[in-house]
Amino acid sequence: MNHPGILHNRHGASPLAIIAFIAIVALLIAFPGFVESPYARHIMVLLFLSTIMGESWNIIGGYTGQYSVGHAAYFGAGAYGTLIVMNAAQFDQDKLLELKDLAQDSHLSALLLSAHYLHPWTGVLVGMLAALTLSLIIGSICFRLRGPYFVLASIAVAEIVRISVLNLSDLTQGAEGILISDLPPIIIGGRTITDFSTKVPFYYIGLGLVLLTILVTWLVQNSKLGYFFQAIREDQDAAHSLGISLTFYKNSALAISAVLTSLAGSFYAIYIKFIDPTTVLSLDLSVQIVLISIIGGIGTIYGPVVGALVLVPLSEILRSNYLGESLVNSGLVNPDSAVGNFLTENLSHAHVLIYGILVVLVILFMPEGVLGFIRKIMAKKRLGRS
Amino acid sequence: MILFLQSLISGILIGGVYALIGIGLTIIFGVMRVINFAHGDIMMVGMYMTYFLFTLFGIDPFVSVLITIPMMFIFGGIMQKLFINRILGSLPQNQILLTIGLGLIMSNSAMLAFTSDYKILTTSYSSSSYRLAGLSISKPLAISFLITVAITAILYWFLMRTDTGQAIRATAQDREAAQLMGINVKRMSVLAFGIGSAMAGTAGALISPTYYIFPQVGSAFTLKAFVITVLGGMGSIVGATLGGVIIGVVESMGAAYISSDWKDVVVFTIFLLVLLIKPSGLMGTSRT
Amino acid sequence: MAILEIKHVSKFFGGLAANSDVSFEINPGMIMGLIGPNGAGKTTLFNCITGYYPPSKGEVIFDGRRMNGLQPDKVCKLGMARTWQKVRPLAKMSVVDNVMVGALCRTNSLKLAREMAMEQVRVVRLEHRSNFLAGGLPIGERKKLEVARVLATQPKLLLLDEVMGGLNPAESEEIIQLILDIRKLGITQMVIEHDMKAIMRISDRIVVLNSGEKLAEGTPDEIVNNPEVVAAYLGSE
Repeated sequence: MNHPGILHNRHGASPLAIIAFIAIVALLIAFPGFVESPYARHIMVLLFLSTIMGESWNIIGGYTGQYSVGHAAYFGAGAYGTLIVMNAAQFDQDKLLELKDLAQDSHLSALLLSAHYLHPWTGVLVGMLAALTLSLIIGSICFRLRGPYFVLASIAVAEIVRISVLNLSDLTQGAEGILISDLPPIIIGGRTITDFSTKVPFYYIGLGLVLLTILVTWLVQNSKLGYFFQAIREDQDAAHSLGISLTFYKNSALAISAVLTSLAGSFYAIYIKFIDPTTVLSLDLSVQIVLISIIGGIGTIYGPVVGALVLVPLSEILRSNYLGESLVNSGLVNPDSAVGNFLTENLSHAHVLIYGILVVLVILFMPEGVLGFIRKIMAKKRLGRS
Repeated sequence: MILFLQSLISGILIGGVYALIGIGLTIIFGVMRVINFAHGDIMMVGMYMTYFLFTLFGIDPFVSVLITIPMMFIFGGIMQKLFINRILGSLPQNQILLTIGLGLIMSNSAMLAFTSDYKILTTSYSSSSYRLAGLSISKPLAISFLITVAITAILYWFLMRTDTGQAIRATAQDREAAQLMGINVKRMSVLAFGIGSAMAGTAGALISPTYYIFPQVGSAFTLKAFVITVLGGMGSIVGATLGGVIIGVVESMGAAYISSDWKDVVVFTIFLLVLLIKPSGLMGTSRT
Repeated sequence: MAILEIKHVSKFFGGLAANSDVSFEINPGMIMGLIGPNGAGKTTLFNCITGYYPPSKGEVIFDGRRMNGLQPDKVCKLGMARTWQKVRPLAKMSVVDNVMVGALCRTNSLKLAREMAMEQVRVVRLEHRSNFLAGGLPIGERKKLEVARVLATQPKLLLLDEVMGGLNPAESEEIIQLILDIRKLGITQMVIEHDMKAIMRISDRIVVLNSGEKLAEGTPDEIVNNPEVVAAYLGSE
C-alpha cells in the first residue's frame, strides 16, 4: 500500500508504559536505601534538577514553540526569593527571641511571635510569585514579537533582571551573592527534618519536583491547553484563526513554565546554599536550560528526562575531571608534563564545552533530539520488518 | 559641559568599534537570514589572535589587523561551509541554537587552551591620551577609530562598486531572485560569513589594547551586536554603522549621567523599545 | 437581514491601496463568489474581514455587530471562520488533532471535541487519514483538512480562500460537492476562486474586484456578460 503520510502514534499511555513508569518510580524511591554514596546521591540530585529545568522550559519552548532563552530570570527569581526570605526569617527569629525575653507578659510575646514570625520556607512561594509576575511582564513585552525577535527580547529582559539583581545589593547582596549556613527545619507529612547532611531530603524533594513537573506536563498535554499550545507552535496565524487567543495561551504557557522553573531555582538554592548572579541568572544558564529539552527531544514528556540523562553524566565526567586524572593516574601521561598539567588543571573548567559540542551534533544530525532519533530508528526497523 | 563632550567623544570612538561588530552581524543576517549567536566569540578569537601576535612576535595590535583580517575571513568561511551551510533552510530556532553551540565550543576551547585568566595586552601607548581643549582622548581608542573608519570605507566601496559586492547585496535583497539571475548564492554565503567574521575579528583586534581578554568576553559583545543591528535595522549596513555609534554614545552617556553599573540596562531598554515600536529599526525596510 | 455587510472598506499599505471603498452584502445561506485578477485585493479583503488587519477605512458588520478591531480569535468565536490560500496544516499533529483544535473553540472537553472532530473528518471524507500526521498529507487532502478544521469551529459564515487552487479536476470536483454540501448545512459561504467554471457553478452571487476596487456585482450570468469584467480579465492576461 502506498501511504502518502506518516502514521501518527498517539501519546495515550499503554498499560506496559504505565507499569514501567511505576516500576521506575518505585526504584527511584528505594534508591537512597541501598546506595549510600553521597556522590551517587549528588549525581541523582543533579539529574533531578536538570530534569525539572528541562520539563519546565519544555512547556513554553517545546509545546508552545516560543524559544525563551531567558529562563535564568525565573530560575533566579526562585533562588533569590527563597534565600532572601530564609535569611530575613532567621533574622526575625533571633530578634523575636530577644523580644520574648524583654516582654514579661508571655501572652504578648506569643502574639508577637505569631504575628511577626515569617516562616523561612515562605521564600519558595515568594520566588514562585516573583517568577509569575516576571513572566507576565516579560510575556506582555516579548510575545508581541515572533521568531528570532522573540528570542532576542527574552535574552534582553533576562539580562536586565541579572544586572538589576547585581546592582540592588541592599536586597540581594550584589555580586557577593547569598550564602546560608543552616537550613531551617522542614516539615513534610508530620515529620520534621533537620538533618540535611545525608542528601536524602534533597533526593526526595528533587524526585517529588520531577514527578510534579511530569504530572503538570501530562495534564497540559491531555487537555485543551496542550492542543492550543501545539497549534500555536505549528502555526500562529492558523491557530489565531481557529479561535485561539495567542496572547492568553502564550502567557499561560510562559506562566506555568516560569513558576515550575522558579521551583527548580529554589531547589538549587537550598541544595547548594549559595547563589550569585553569575550562577543563577546568567545567559549560560538560560542556554543550558534550553539545551536539556533540545538534546532530549522537544514537545515530549520524556524528552527532557533523556536530555538530563545525556548531559549530566557527560558534564560531570568533565567537571570532576575524571577523564584527565584517570589518564594521568594510569601512567599514560606524565603529571608534570605540559599535557598532564593541561589535563588536570584546564579540562575541569571546560565542562560547558560538552554542551556546545552536543548541541552542534544534535542540531546537525538529530534535529528531533535523541528521543526523536531513537523513535525514527525504531519506526524504520518496524517498517523493515513488516 | 566638559563631561558631556568627553562622554560624547569616548562614546563615538568606542561606537566605531561597535559599528564594525554590528556590520559583521548584519551582513551575515542580510545574506543568510541567520542570526549569528557566535559573533562575540568570533571576536574573542580575534582578540586572542592579536594578543599572541603581540606577545609572541611583537607585532603591534594595530599592525596585526593586516594578518587578523584574512585569517578571520578564512576562519569564518570554513565555519560557514562546515556548519552554517547545512542549516540554512531549517527553523530559525535551530539556527540560533547551532550558532550558540559553536560559540560555546569556541569560548570553552579558549578556556581549555588559555585558562580563564584575564589577559592584558599592554602597549607603550595603552594608557596614553591626547589632550584637546580640556578633553582627554584615549590614544588607542582614537587610532582604532581611524582604522575602523578606513575599514568601513573600504567595505562600502567593495559592496557598492565591485561585482562581487553587488552580488552580495543582491543576494541579501532577494536570495531566490539572485539565484535566478545566475549569482552563486552559496559562494556569496561563504563570502558573507567570512566578511562578517573578519569584521568581528578586527573589532576584537582593535579593542584588545584597551580591554581585558578572556574566553567569556564574547557573550557581552554578541548581545551588543544584536542591539546595534536591530537598532539600525537587520541587514542594513548604514543602519549598523549608525547603531554602533548610537549605542557607544548611549553607553558612555549612561555611565556618565546614570551610573556605569546601570548602563547596560539603558542599552537593553532601548533595544526592547526599538523591538516594540519600530522592529524594522532605523534604516530597515518594514517586514512583510 | 444580511449576515455580513462590507461598508466602504479601504485598506492602505503605505501609500498603496490594496482595497478601496469596497461595499457589498451577503445574505444568510447563500454562496458569494469573490473573483478578480491576481493582486486585485481578494485575500487582503479576507484579512480585513477576519481581523488580521484592521481596515484603514470603512466598516465590517457581521450578524449585526461591528467587527473592526476585533482579533481573529474573537472573530472566529463569533462565528466567522476562514481558510488560507496557502494551506496551514498543524504539521506535527494528526489529522483528527488538527480538527480537534477547531472543535475546542466550542467545548472544553477533549472527548466531545474528538467526537465533533470525527464528524467533520467524515464530512470531508478523510476518515481513513484521521491518525496521519497533517504534514504528510498530499495537497488535495490538506485542503480538505483545512475545511474540516474550520467547520469544527461551527461557523455561521465560512470564508474559503482558493480551496481548489493546485488541485486536479477530480479533486476540484470533490471540493465543489463539499461546498454544496456545506450550503445544505445552512452555512453561508464566501469563496475566492480562480477557476471560473467552478465559481460560476456554485455561486449565487459574485463580486468582482479589480485593483482593489469593486468592479461589478451580480448573478453569475450578469457577471459573464459584463463587458467591464471581460475587459479586466483580458487586460490582465
